[in-house]
Amino acid sequence: MRTLLIAVAFVLSIFAAQLVRIQGFDASAVAAEARKQRTATVAIPALRGQILSSDGVVLAASQERITVVADLTAICTYQTKKNKCDDASSGEAVGKAAAALAPLLGQDEAKLRENLTGTARYRILERQATPLTWRKIADLRIPGIYKDQTPGADVSVPQRTYPTGPAAASLVGFVTNDGKAGGGVEQLMDATLQGTVGQVEYETSATGEVIPAAGQTRKEAVNGTDVRLTINSGLQWYAQNALAQKMEQTNALSGTVVAMNAKTGDLLAVASYPTYDPNDIGRANGSLTNKAFGEVFEPGSTAKLMTIAAAMQDGTVTPDTPVIVPPTLPRYDQVFNDSHAHPTEYRTVTGVLAESSNIGTVLVSETLTPKRLEEYFRKFGLGTKSGTGFPGESAGLLTKSEDWSGTQRATVAFGQGLSVTAIQAAGVFQTIANNGVRVEPRLIESTTDKDGTVKQTPASKGSRVVDEKVAKQVSEMLEGVVSPNGTAPQAQIAGYRVAGKTGTADRYDPTVGGYSGKTASFIGYAPADDPQIVVAVILQRPTNGYFGGSTAGPVFHDVMTYALQELKIPPTGTAAPQLVLDVEPSAAEADPTTLRNKPKGSGG
Amino acid sequence: MSSDPLHDRPGLSRLRAVAGHDLALLVATGGVCLVGALLVWSATHRTAGTAYLVRHLLNTAIGFALAMAVTRIGRQRLRFAGPFVYAAGLAGLVAVLTPLGATINGSRSWIPLAAGFTLQPSEFAKVGIVLALAGLFADRLDRRLPPSSRDLVLAWVLVLVPVGLVMLQPDLGSAIVLIALAFVLIAVAGAPWPWVVGVVGLGVGGVVAVLRSGVLSGYQQDRLLVFLDPERDPLGAGYQLAQVRLAIGSGGWWGEGFMQGRQTQGGFVPYQLNDFIFSTAAEELGFVGTVGLLGLLGFVVLRILLVGVRSRDGFGRFIGAGVGAWFAVQIFQNVGMNLGLMPVTGLPLPFVSYGGSSMFAAWLGVGLVNAAYVARSRDPHLT
Repeated sequence: MRTLLIAVAFVLSIFAAQLVRIQGFDASAVAAEARKQRTATVAIPALRGQILSSDGVVLAASQERITVVADLTAICTYQTKKNKCDDASSGEAVGKAAAALAPLLGQDEAKLRENLTGTARYRILERQATPLTWRKIADLRIPGIYKDQTPGADVSVPQRTYPTGPAAASLVGFVTNDGKAGGGVEQLMDATLQGTVGQVEYETSATGEVIPAAGQTRKEAVNGTDVRLTINSGLQWYAQNALAQKMEQTNALSGTVVAMNAKTGDLLAVASYPTYDPNDIGRANGSLTNKAFGEVFEPGSTAKLMTIAAAMQDGTVTPDTPVIVPPTLPRYDQVFNDSHAHPTEYRTVTGVLAESSNIGTVLVSETLTPKRLEEYFRKFGLGTKSGTGFPGESAGLLTKSEDWSGTQRATVAFGQGLSVTAIQAAGVFQTIANNGVRVEPRLIESTTDKDGTVKQTPASKGSRVVDEKVAKQVSEMLEGVVSPNGTAPQAQIAGYRVAGKTGTADRYDPTVGGYSGKTASFIGYAPADDPQIVVAVILQRPTNGYFGGSTAGPVFHDVMTYALQELKIPPTGTAAPQLVLDVEPSAAEADPTTLRNKPKGSGG
Repeated sequence: MSSDPLHDRPGLSRLRAVAGHDLALLVATGGVCLVGALLVWSATHRTAGTAYLVRHLLNTAIGFALAMAVTRIGRQRLRFAGPFVYAAGLAGLVAVLTPLGATINGSRSWIPLAAGFTLQPSEFAKVGIVLALAGLFADRLDRRLPPSSRDLVLAWVLVLVPVGLVMLQPDLGSAIVLIALAFVLIAVAGAPWPWVVGVVGLGVGGVVAVLRSGVLSGYQQDRLLVFLDPERDPLGAGYQLAQVRLAIGSGGWWGEGFMQGRQTQGGFVPYQLNDFIFSTAAEELGFVGTVGLLGLLGFVVLRILLVGVRSRDGFGRFIGAGVGAWFAVQIFQNVGMNLGLMPVTGLPLPFVSYGGSSMFAAWLGVGLVNAAYVARSRDPHLT
């Protein structure tokens, strides 16, 4: 009896010890483990912020969408009053469910019925149901049909719509099916637009129902912040269409139009072609990238103003310095021509630019060291990214002057042997238009968070490249280009003074590994004596006429005309200065400052 | 009885009749049943409302009535009824193995009755064995003689036959209870120790033989051995034990509150209303409540043993010792498996777990003890 008692006491003490261990010492750990098992989390999707144009037009917006999923092992009990599937009634139940759902989901009934048959516990029926549609579906009370709220899953992604369609597509970018940014501003400003997904944490029973005794913690979703661009929606739309039209006419490979505020660097339009419809990204077969930021090309003649402005800034030439332009110019192992054959001409520096003489520009460039020329090019923004941070932006290509080959030493002067983006090319003209101060382009005007707090993007910093006087002189020279005597009379706009420069460059084609086709461009600004807007038009490999003046010039004319009207910029009412393009041959020969092709070995 | 001096005062007589019962035992047992009812209610109200609460209370009432009936039958008639009750229990154990029985969770332990009610003969076999052995040994104990060898052999047979039948179901838990109470009864009878230990050896040997013979399905083997190694069957029995542990641990010292246990209310613990009702108490009432419940159950067991010890005749002693051992072993077994210290054998916690047969059988046991108590108080001078 005594041993029995001892045995009982022994067993009891072991039990007591175990109970104390589980309920006393291990209690908090065990309870935490239990809580973890019970806790379920449901995601609350956050709506992505809108992207707006400067004038308030919605370029991208998000709408709440619901992913409808099916548990096929439950649907077969629809209206059968049974708890489990039953071979006898399942077919009919699924048929009823399919018939009820088909019109709401907009799907074929027979196909849906097939989709609802089986044993899968999770099948996505529709990713983009509107809240209204979901409410109607929920009202049917079909067992096993529910909205997916699994956190982390690529479900219930709000639908992203782009009301302006292809007009700003490659600029605004797009969002993929799973809600991830796929380029453009969507990617650039992703962190701002995204918002924070919220979640509800609650405790569920073993079968998934909410345990009423337990509370829930809710973290609300924070919708994304709206982003306002510097883009003018009307101008963007117009530029994109004008470009598209010209592209079809000239059968060009690609093209861009950049419109920029001359004083602030704000981008007013960035058109890119070919484009796509961001509302139907699956069928996009054009280019998804924005060519204005991403495509580099050799600028050709539009680069000449950098060479001439540099020489003028360093005081090696003035606008009236005579230049004796020979028919051909041998340099290193190559002989350079001008675009049109001519006898020896006697021009001023202004005339060289107006007539876009390669030979004359090379002669001007030779008044500077290559190193000095490179410094100016870099000050004009070449060889570095613009600072907008636009995804896929290229820095262009400007090799160091000490690495320039013999011919490159000459070609960079007239814009070959280096490459730029359309944004950079427009920036060069913006610098001249803004009295010699280069301002980095700006694309994001402001952000507006969910509380309505507006945060302005700081104005871009300016950096002086050339003196105001030089800029004004170069600007007047550029007006000569658009004069009836210049290379692009097509760019004239009635009532306004326009400055600009044509470019017809050999186009480097990586698929060929050499030059193939041309890059036709026209970049200019208006009004020339109080510049407000810079417009750059670049067409790659136009086949139906390739001179910048005749292909890009009319697009510039149309876009600039629209821009001046859209932004309500009045004509200045002043007259263009009379420019001296030519000099008397005898005077040129006699002038010691005259630039001429020096015989080999004479130095300089 | 005719000498009752208060015979002509029926009111007082009735009062005395009530007072003659072991009120402490009856009230304590009723209290345990009530606690059980509340726990069963808490474990099931989310899915079944008050259905199980009502049925548990109904079972308690029927059980109490049975106990009263047994008490009324009286000690003497119970002694004679012993062999018949035993035979009936044996018949039930045989019947359950015939097509009359139903297999639930791998054990053929139930006989389905009408309207969804089932009968578990092994529960009643416990009552039969207590009665049979008590009847067998009581005469010689009353004469202060040790049991004869013939009696002991018969006792062995009386125990081992039902143990064998129970193991064929197989129901290891009931077999252990039967062996344990036989062990206690043979010891109380004053048998030499080889006989006492022998029944345990034979029983354990039989159990081991059955375990190794392949009667047990893989599922049942897992269930028995999983407490040693929870990884053995992580989705089945291991899951069960893990959930029980989570529920008990969640209770902490003070519990989450009645009907507030998240694990219980969430329905995470399988078979919580019967085999694992202890975990409901542990989660919702905490360590304090658990100790209270065990104290109450311990009081019932001690009270039963006390009735046996104080009983002046051998029959009463055997009844007290047998029923006490039965309850004690079953409580050990059940709490042990809830705490992960004993194999999962599917034994209910007496009076607390939901289940008709076990409730009725336990109350029958209480009835026997109460009958012994009443007999002693009525015949103060007997032997």
